[in-house]
Amino acid sequence: MDGKLEVSLDKLPVKRLEFIEESGVERFPTDVSYDEKKLSLIRRIDFAWALEKDDNKKQKKSTKESSTPWQWQSMVENLQLAQQELSVIIDLINTVEANDAVTVASITRPKPLPTEVLSDLAVSAATKLQCYRHLGKYFKQSAKALEQQVAKEARFYGALIRLQQNWKVKRQRVAASAPGGESFTIDLFDNSITDPTTVIRPSSLSPLRVDHDSAGMLAINVPPKSCHTLCFDFIGAQSSKSSRGSSEAQTEHLEREDGDEPMGDDESVKKTHSTLRNFHRAIFDEQVFDLVNREAYNPSLGVNVTGIEENYLQLSLGQGTSICISLVPTTEDQSVETGGTQKIETAPLSLDSLEGIRSAEKVGCLVKKKTPNHASYEIYLQQIFHDHVFVRSKDKPISAVPRVSGQSAKDGSGLLGHFCMSLAHRIFSNRVLMELEHVVSRVPYLNLMSQPSWHSRTSSWTLYMKVPESILHAGCRKDINQPKHIKTQFRTKIVVTDDCIKVEGEGAPNVVGLFKGTAEDISSINRYDCDLADLPVIILQQVASQVIRWLHEEALMVGIKATRDFLCLSFELEQGEMLSLLAQVDPEDTYGCISWWLVMDDGFSDERKLQMEYSDNANEYRKFLGHLSLDALYSTLMDLVTLCNGGANH
Amino acid sequence: MNRGGAAGAGLGSGSGPTAAAAAAAAQKQKTLLQRVETDIGNIVDNFSHLVNVARVNDPPVRNSQEAFMMEMRAARMVQAADSLLKLVSELKQTAIFSGFASLNDHVEQRIVEFNQQAEKSDRLLSRIAEEAAASLKELESHYYSSSQRSTHPTES
Repeated sequence: MDGKLEVSLDKLPVKRLEFIEESGVERFPTDVSYDEKKLSLIRRIDFAWALEKDDNKKQKKSTKESSTPWQWQSMVENLQLAQQELSVIIDLINTVEANDAVTVASITRPKPLPTEVLSDLAVSAATKLQCYRHLGKYFKQSAKALEQQVAKEARFYGALIRLQQNWKVKRQRVAASAPGGESFTIDLFDNSITDPTTVIRPSSLSPLRVDHDSAGMLAINVPPKSCHTLCFDFIGAQSSKSSRGSSEAQTEHLEREDGDEPMGDDESVKKTHSTLRNFHRAIFDEQVFDLVNREAYNPSLGVNVTGIEENYLQLSLGQGTSICISLVPTTEDQSVETGGTQKIETAPLSLDSLEGIRSAEKVGCLVKKKTPNHASYEIYLQQIFHDHVFVRSKDKPISAVPRVSGQSAKDGSGLLGHFCMSLAHRIFSNRVLMELEHVVSRVPYLNLMSQPSWHSRTSSWTLYMKVPESILHAGCRKDINQPKHIKTQFRTKIVVTDDCIKVEGEGAPNVVGLFKGTAEDISSINRYDCDLADLPVIILQQVASQVIRWLHEEALMVGIKATRDFLCLSFELEQGEMLSLLAQVDPEDTYGCISWWLVMDDGFSDERKLQMEYSDNANEYRKFLGHLSLDALYSTLMDLVTLCNGGANH
Repeated sequence: MNRGGAAGAGLGSGSGPTAAAAAAAAQKQKTLLQRVETDIGNIVDNFSHLVNVARVNDPPVRNSQEAFMMEMRAARMVQAADSLLKLVSELKQTAIFSGFASLNDHVEQRIVEFNQQAEKSDRLLSRIAEEAAASLKELESHYYSSSQRSTHPTES
């Protein structure tokens, strides 16, 4: 309780006169009943202080409890207060109702003024309008977003359709819980292998994921540094960067020159196509390398594996040549890739190849390329595997010139063998060609003609010798009615198959032919199989025998009886003397390989000849004529003929 | 080639290889159409409600109630539009992956093109080879019959 105490005094309970009527009767107020008295007393009590007190108490309580507030505390307090107020009001109303003096009437809201109505309406209308405007903005925004999405999807699907024209696109239905929904992959794996027993390992590259890049466009998820190309090279050879890499670097450079502006759809699709094609090629190269690896350990192959590393295989072909086949990672940047070539250079050089290179430098002053072009053999390796393993038989195109045909082992196991043998053949035939050119350069009347065989394991050349025109005319003038047709061109054919050399040509009959019959009727073809070391000698002997044969025929045409031996043409003089024209072949002779001797012997018996074989006998005269051209030989022959005739006429 | 889930063309009507496939196609078509109808009905419905609520009411509480309802209906409309777009993209995918006739035609066309290109390359290569052989023959005969060779016999 406050200090202030308000006291109200009741009137004394004395009957007071209320009023006096005209008649003099005194009227007193009616007696208040006990209840009424109580009610009036209650009415007089002012409960405001109690309410205030409660409020204070509540405030104090709330300050005490502020350290641990409960989120519903204030609501509870408000409700309690409200309940108290309500209870007071109800009590008051009950009291008032019980008093019967006052009845509680319903209160009607005052009728609003028209301005108020209108302003309320205006506010509501404005609110609603605002609401609609807000909706309008929302619709526009979503429309724009949907349009963008439509455009993005249109571009994406357009690009996907264009990719699908050339590549296998697969769809994967991911489970509904995944956020992406459907995903697409591009399968680059080529399963068109003819031989069903060949098991090709699946490539790690093969299904490539198609993603949306930052702009929502189609992008291929490219695994980094996983793309390899097949690289073929000779050990010890300085190999330049492979041509494919350099050309790709060029095209990349050209593309980047166009600036950094975002690429249009066409260019991005083109770029994607080329990326996919690179991966496709890389997968093919991996498969080829895999097949090569499998075949390399076949013992019937004929080549030896001399080095194995990851993605690297080294083979030795014999003849001092080693090759390596490797998978080199392709790089995207434009700098020269030296990783692949470095690997090749650090491989141990075999001594044979070094010697081979030195011996090649010995021959002549012109630099002759000993090793074939490595890029061409890289392509060849890929081509034979492609044609025979991957192309279906019904899809094989009909080529105009059959390149690889008629080989015995054409199934998958023989391809690497065929390749290695082709390579060995090429190296060997280069050496054969060198020897041939060496010989031909020393003999002036001998010409070399290459005959391309269009076969990877066969090469052939023809050496031919032509009788000079002057002699031909002279011959024609002399013997017009000679029925026999004199050969004016002599050919020797050299055919190299794998590493076998075969020499074929007409010439003087060999020893066997001499026993068979008259030498003139036999125009035999001599066939020799020889190896590289004997080749020059054999050829020179063949050529010399052809010359001898020609001279023999010329002599016969003139009417002189001459006998022909392998490399010797003999004329019989009187008294049994024999005059011989003898050919000597020497491949190492620097002035010419075929030189001529004139030998005369005076008909002693053979036994004596044998006894005196090695002595420098006075009975045998030898004159060295030198390296004669065909003209000189012909004139020598004519001189000998006149000598014989002159001698006969004596 | 594995084309994923969807069987048959979208509008196949008994033209599939088996009756089951044709029936499945018809069923799928029905489902899609139903989805389209639902979505469009949704949009129209919500829009008409939006328009109907344009009247301004006296008690403001009704207006705020209507404001919430309008937002809700607008969101539903947008969602229906989005699902329609998804349907469209699904149809596009089906078209991409199930248009077998056009794909096969195209593939065969490309095969023919590539075969022609391969033949052309082969012919070109053989022509080059023949020309090279002819040139070689000519050069060789020219060299061996030239005076240079006969005057310098020791050079290789």
